[in-house]
Amino acid sequence: MADIAVSGMAAATAYGRGTGALAEHVFAGKPGFSAVHRFDTSLHRAHVAALLPGATTLEAELAEVIDAACSDAGLSTADRAATPLLLAAEREDGRARLPRWGRTPEQTPAGLGATLAEECGLGRLVRAYTTACVSASTAVIDGAAMIASGRAERVVVAGGYLVTRDDFAMFNAGFALSDDGAVRPFSAGRRGLLLGDGVAAVVLERSARRSPRARLTGWGRAGDGYHVCQPHPEGHGMARAIRAALGRAGLEPEDLGYVNAHGTGTSYNDAAEAAALHRAFGLMADKIPVSSTKALHGHVLEASGLVELIVTILALTSGCLPVNAGFTGPDADCALDLVLDQPRQTTHRHALSLNAAFGGANTALVVSQP
Amino acid sequence: MRVVAKAEWSGEEELPLLRGFVVSSYSPLVAEVASRCLSQCYERPVPPEVGERMAVVLISQGGDVHSAVETASLVDSGQKVSPLLFFQSVPNAIAGHVAKRWGLNGPVVCVSPAGDPEHEAMELAGLLFGDGDADRALVVLVEQATVEGAPDRASALLIEPYGTAGGGKE
Repeated sequence: MADIAVSGMAAATAYGRGTGALAEHVFAGKPGFSAVHRFDTSLHRAHVAALLPGATTLEAELAEVIDAACSDAGLSTADRAATPLLLAAEREDGRARLPRWGRTPEQTPAGLGATLAEECGLGRLVRAYTTACVSASTAVIDGAAMIASGRAERVVVAGGYLVTRDDFAMFNAGFALSDDGAVRPFSAGRRGLLLGDGVAAVVLERSARRSPRARLTGWGRAGDGYHVCQPHPEGHGMARAIRAALGRAGLEPEDLGYVNAHGTGTSYNDAAEAAALHRAFGLMADKIPVSSTKALHGHVLEASGLVELIVTILALTSGCLPVNAGFTGPDADCALDLVLDQPRQTTHRHALSLNAAFGGANTALVVSQP
Repeated sequence: MRVVAKAEWSGEEELPLLRGFVVSSYSPLVAEVASRCLSQCYERPVPPEVGERMAVVLISQGGDVHSAVETASLVDSGQKVSPLLFFQSVPNAIAGHVAKRWGLNGPVVCVSPAGDPEHEAMELAGLLFGDGDADRALVVLVEQATVEGAPDRASALLIEPYGTAGGGKE
C-alpha cells in the first residue's frame, strides 16, 4: 500500500474561502450557483455559475490557498523553501488577450507557477499541468509518485480555475452547459454541466510532523484511446485507472465507503462513468455510495481533482457523505447507489475520487483515514 | 531510458490539414510529428499489448496560443464561437486524437514545463515508468512561434525504459 500523508489543505469555492465553508455547504447539499455578473451571458443558453464571492485574480487566489495549505501543514519558512510546487492551471481571460506576437515565458502556465513558487516562498516549480479536467488529479498523482520514488520528501500541489467569459462561450457553443440552472449527475433528464470557481492546494509528505488530514494510499491513470472529447462508452480507461488505484492501495471494492464521481451531469459522461464503475467493481458496483459534488460547487475544470479530493477527505474524516444534488429520477444507464436527499453516514476508512477529461484521460485517487 | 524514435517538424514544409481542427497549427503539428515518430517503429495501430500501456505526453510551454487568441477575439466582438474551438480548447483533444488513431491507452498528460522541454520529457517518462502506469511514452514537444515570421516548432520522442522488448516493425 502506498502511504502519502496529506498534511495540509486549503480551498476557495463558491461557498467562500476555507475548507470549513466548503464542508458546511457541501454537507448541507445546497448548490452554489448564482447569476453571472462577471461578464455578459445574454447570448448563451446558461446564465449561472458557482462563483467565488469577491474573487480577485487567479494568481492572488492561488497564492492565498498555497499559503493556507502550508500553514495548515505547519510548514516553516525553511520547510517551504525546500518544497517544490506542482501547479494545475491554464485558463485566464487575460492571457488570451495578450498580443499573439512578443509573448514571454512568464506569460505561460509555467510562468504563473514560477511566479507563485517565488511569491509563496516555495522551492522550484516542477511544472504546470494543462491536462484539462484531470490537471489537478494528475499533479497530485505525480506529486505522490515523486515522494514514493524518493524524488521529493514533500510537495505542494495547487490548482485553480476562475470562470472566464471565453470558457463560458466555448462550453455554450459545445452545448455542454445545463440550461435549467442545475446540474443533475447520473439523473434522468440531466442537461449538462455548470462552471464554477475553484482554487485549492494540498501539502503531500512522506511523513507528516503532525496528524495528517488523510492519507493518499492509491492512485491510477489510464487513457481511453477512443475519441477527441468523448469518454469510452463502456468506461474502459476509467475502469483501468480505478483498478490500478485499488491495486496500489491493496484494497478491494468492498473496502470503499464512498466514491466522489467525476459526474459532470452530461449525458454521455455520466453513463460512461457508471459503466466504468460496474466494470471495475463488478457485483459491488451498486453497493458503494456514489455522489458527484459538481452539482454543488460546479465544474471547476483544471482544479477539479483538488477540490474534489478535499471534499472526499472531508467526507471520509467526518463520516458524512455529501448528496448527489439535482437528482430527479433514475436513469437505467446510471444504476449506482447514489447518495440522495440527505447526507449519508459512513464508518468506512477508504474512499475514491475520480476525474476524467477530454482526450480520454482518466484518474483515480484512493483516500484513506489518517 | 532510451529514445527509440525521434521525429521533427522542420517548419518549412506545408503542414497537412487535420480534419476537425481549425484555425491553429497546434493540433496538426502534434498529429504530424506523432505519426512521423511512431511510424518509424510501428504500423498503425500499434499492437494492443504495446498500445495498452503507452502514455501520450504533450509538452508545450505556451500551449495553443492561436486558438485561444481566436476565441477571445470572437467573444470580444460578440460573434458566435465554433463548437470546434470548444473541442480543441484543451491539449487533451489532440492527445485523444493521436491516442485513438494509434491505439494508445496509457495515461494522457499535458504540461507546461518549467525548464528544458527535452529534459522534462525524460523526467515525465521516468516518473510514469517508475510509477508503473506506462511502459512506453510518446512525448510530443510543440511550441507556436511568439515572434512574427518565426516558424512553429514540434518534435516527438518515443521513449522506453532500458530492457523493453520491441514489438514493433521488424
